[in-house]
Amino acid sequence: MSVLPSRFRPTAALLCALPVLALAQDADLAEKLYRSGDRAYAAKAYKEAADTWAQLLQTNPKSDYAPMALLRLARHQVEAERQPDAAMPFLDRLRADYIKAPEAAEGLLLRGEILAGKARKAGELKDAMAEFNRVLDLFPDAPACAEARLQLGRAWRDQGQWGRALQLFVDAFRLHAGSPVVPKALFEAAETLDLLGDTPGCLRMLQRLREEAPQSAEAQEAAWRVAVRVKQRLQKPPLRNEGSWPAGRAKWLKTPILLANGLGGDLLIYQNDLDRTFRLHGSDFTPQGPTAPGAKALLASPSGAVWMLTKTGLVREDAAAAQPLGSLNAVSGAALDRWGNLWVADAKTPALTLFSPEGTSRTMASPPANALAPLNTGGVAIASDTDRKLLFLDAEGQPRLVVPYGKDLPAAFRYVTALAADGAGQVAALVDGGDFGEGVVVFGPDGAVLRQATFKALGISGRITSLALDRTGGLILCDRRNDLLIRLN
Amino acid sequence: MRFPRLLLTSLFCIALWGQDAALKDTFVQAKALWATQGDREGATARFDSVVAALAPKALGLDPEWSQVLCESYNWLAVLDDRNAQTRARAQVRLQAILDLNPDFELDRTLTSQRLSTLFDRMKGEKYAQVKLSWTPEGGRLTVDGRPSPLSPRKYLPFGPHKLVYTRPGHAAAEALVELAPKDVKPVEFKLTRVASTITLFVQPGDAEVLLDGQSLGYAIGKAGPEAAPYAIPLGLRPEDLSAPFVIPELSPGKHRLELRAPCLRTKVLELGPDLSTPAADHTLEPIRMEASKGSLSVSSAWPGGELFLSGQSRGPLPVLNLPVCSGAYDLQVRFPEGGYTQRINVEDGQSLRLEVKPKPRLAFLGLEGGDFTGRARFLSQLETLRDRLQALAFIPAHPDELPKDALARLKASREAELVLMARPLPDSVIHRIELVVANLDGEEERLAVKPLEQDPLGALAARLNALVAIQQPGAGLTLLDLPGESGPWVLAAGEPAQKAGIQIGKPLLQAQGKALASARAFQAAVASAKGSLPVAQEAGTLNLPLGMEGLEIPLGSPDLCYPALLAQLRLLYAHANASANTGAGGDEAGLIRLNMALALMQFRKFDKAIELLRDAHLSSTRGVSQGTLDYHTGRCFLHLGPAYHSEAAQAFRQALKYPQSTLLGPDGPLVAPLAKQALEDLR
Repeated sequence: MSVLPSRFRPTAALLCALPVLALAQDADLAEKLYRSGDRAYAAKAYKEAADTWAQLLQTNPKSDYAPMALLRLARHQVEAERQPDAAMPFLDRLRADYIKAPEAAEGLLLRGEILAGKARKAGELKDAMAEFNRVLDLFPDAPACAEARLQLGRAWRDQGQWGRALQLFVDAFRLHAGSPVVPKALFEAAETLDLLGDTPGCLRMLQRLREEAPQSAEAQEAAWRVAVRVKQRLQKPPLRNEGSWPAGRAKWLKTPILLANGLGGDLLIYQNDLDRTFRLHGSDFTPQGPTAPGAKALLASPSGAVWMLTKTGLVREDAAAAQPLGSLNAVSGAALDRWGNLWVADAKTPALTLFSPEGTSRTMASPPANALAPLNTGGVAIASDTDRKLLFLDAEGQPRLVVPYGKDLPAAFRYVTALAADGAGQVAALVDGGDFGEGVVVFGPDGAVLRQATFKALGISGRITSLALDRTGGLILCDRRNDLLIRLN
Repeated sequence: MRFPRLLLTSLFCIALWGQDAALKDTFVQAKALWATQGDREGATARFDSVVAALAPKALGLDPEWSQVLCESYNWLAVLDDRNAQTRARAQVRLQAILDLNPDFELDRTLTSQRLSTLFDRMKGEKYAQVKLSWTPEGGRLTVDGRPSPLSPRKYLPFGPHKLVYTRPGHAAAEALVELAPKDVKPVEFKLTRVASTITLFVQPGDAEVLLDGQSLGYAIGKAGPEAAPYAIPLGLRPEDLSAPFVIPELSPGKHRLELRAPCLRTKVLELGPDLSTPAADHTLEPIRMEASKGSLSVSSAWPGGELFLSGQSRGPLPVLNLPVCSGAYDLQVRFPEGGYTQRINVEDGQSLRLEVKPKPRLAFLGLEGGDFTGRARFLSQLETLRDRLQALAFIPAHPDELPKDALARLKASREAELVLMARPLPDSVIHRIELVVANLDGEEERLAVKPLEQDPLGALAARLNALVAIQQPGAGLTLLDLPGESGPWVLAAGEPAQKAGIQIGKPLLQAQGKALASARAFQAAVASAKGSLPVAQEAGTLNLPLGMEGLEIPLGSPDLCYPALLAQLRLLYAHANASANTGAGGDEAGLIRLNMALALMQFRKFDKAIELLRDAHLSSTRGVSQGTLDYHTGRCFLHLGPAYHSEAAQAFRQALKYPQSTLLGPDGPLVAPLAKQALEDLR
């Protein structure tokens, strides 16, 4: 029964319907703004897209499209602008105001990834891990959980908690069959098993990866890692001199003195007479990076850029000017760790100097190091002729493994001229002196000698100054006297 | 639909026939009481009972019963007229006759002159007479669009009327008359032949008649005495034949006449052009149809099945050589758990044999309300799931049953293991439909589809059809694909393979005499072998013993429907459990329980999963084995919270006792390091 006179009834009905109509119009407008921004973004009109989404957030903050817009704005900062810090305000707002929205899972994951990317040591991963855990706790059914598990596993691995890391990597591919994360998780699980000393488990996992996702980048990576690990650790054939390499090329270099592995397994060769580094890719031999007279150490950055350490400082392909190295003027080796820190050994300094990506430096107590090589544990291996020991350091500089010179060998050597790592756990040393004499020794991740040979036995008479491990289980030696490379297999 | 209706009609006729006989008897008795015994009261009572039975359905009575009713009114009018107290009712009786059939002629020998005059006067006040004549005979008359008996005189109410006379093979004739009081108007119909007609009698009746592929209707009913000249020469009685079926207009040329009936062999007659030209009426010799039958045998290795054909029970399995009429059937076998459905077509003389096993039953509950474009198309596509699902037996929705009522019914009857609900997702315009597949215990999955896309149910059908193996044949080898090797390289081998002479650290060169390119090629060779597999290594050829290796179902896969998977596993478990009770299948049952638990863990039903895992046992210690069970038990307890941490630790300690146990499959990650880490975390 109506209490209003009939003439007021249509007006009353209209007034009642107004809020509903207004809400519907708002929702409609929010959707249109979101789609408009989407269209602009697809056309790479980023500013227009950002402005449109910002307008949506201002006019319709309660719309379902608001959290979607926030996530898109954050992604834009990370992916297009390459400014992860600028994404944080959007992600903070997404977390604070829209935690129940489905987009919050992606937002938390992205926030965690940004925080993890900014971490420079294990202790700085705490906040990132909290975000990954939030994704798993608050959104257990969200697709983001697969990536969150993978990232959480990586965070545990970077803290040296390999058992926990393995659990998460296994969960990432076990609980998310068919997810794009699976190849990555399989690969990480395999590498973690290797860190845990389970070589057969690692090989089984890499084989599984190759069968389940044969087209993935991880499967390509797995192929050479399986080959190298089987050859170096299980088959361990005696080292054999294959002669000059590439086959038949003699006297083709100008005093090569340094070798390093570049991106994709390419070989980097520093030629002293030319003061430059060259990249050998298949049969292509091309100069790479700036000139750097008198380089003492050579390495490749994670992005593939050539870095050379000289008396004047660090000469980088990806930086305009050389970065001073302070008082270090007798550089004997350098390596990059997982956090992007550059570890530098100086023959005259009884400590290691670490240069952060931001350019700050600190010293770390250590015996004088003659050579350095990165380890896949995240730390580095150093050779100290003073102590006659090979030390496998973790990312904090703590020795995890100490291998006395000559252990497991028929005779001891006295000096290590150079170290090289293959990224699959093996470290090769160019050694000299003692009863062993000049030769090479390949160590496994547990410090055990896998393969060794003296140059005398191999029939090598040149002056070998550096070495590198290739992706088929061979060693490349650089002979500065004969201006060539030699391959051992 | 047609058969149930026919059945109902037949039952109704049988009942009516029984009733009619009694009524006719009453009518005859009434007339006799009056005529022979002068028992006026008795006669009146009986006529009244006849009137009481027939008057309520007067408009639907056939001519014979209409005549009985009119005669009863006539008798009652006479009887009422003889008693002063009831005399006034006599006029009412006469009026009833006029209302029922103004063409009815009073029995003037019985009816007094006074009553006859009264009747004529009453008729003359409302009706005028039409005098009809017609050629040829045998046609049908309609008056104002309604069928009317043919008689030379017809009484019609005053006013305009349209009379039409039709006969098969002739052009219809019509006449318009305007009737006024005391009119007597003649109407003459002369029909012109336009085509031939064909009259058929079929034995037995109820056959569909098709002319040139077009259905003309059914030859039903029983023939009357007019069929005697056709029936008797064939040794039949007229009532053995169907009522005459007339093909009204046979166009010039040849024709193909086809008669179809269930359980009878289809009869095809070629009609020559002489039947259509010149135009004439033809009656064919009665067409006798012969029985058409096949036989059906259905058996199953699974116990407790009962066969149903088109909804009718045909007894428990095995059913051997069951005679069935040829034709299409919806075959269903109901098992204590699960069911089997198939649409079959039994051909004449065919022996159809089926070996069936139960599948989980998926009952479609219907599409909930909410109008949207393409609703009818979407509904019809939902119905086609019956033919698209291979792994499930599809049960269509009951018409006119609401989804919630259907769900309640199924929960009570347990006639299905799975249900499918479809509900439009509310929006300003409905563009998405949510499909929910659930089991009766509440584990469910949702999938949103767009009803206007090409095949909105394609993804659902693919997921429902996806089957997952929980065992695979294996040789206990771990192989690696290594560049430069002449075959997959043996990383590890189980004891049986080592005993057979396999060399670890060497490649496999051949399997079954064919070169092996990869580990995958070896798996394919294992899958196609039985018992053992001859392989070659450098040292020579050996016979690798093969066995079954346990697998875990993939979790979180978008290609699987986990409620359906769970239902399939439950069905497998019921069978394996029955086998275990007879001394076989114990490990298989354990493996199924493990995988059921994994499926429940997918739904985070960890308590239910523990119940399954706790009573599961696997005798194997390598690959997916006892350690795997223990590890998952520990993980489930962990999910239940700190109160169960001691149970979780106990389970992880148990898992550590099986260092060769793995997750996923024989070459999956080892359980031991994971259990060890879990234990450390608990400390």
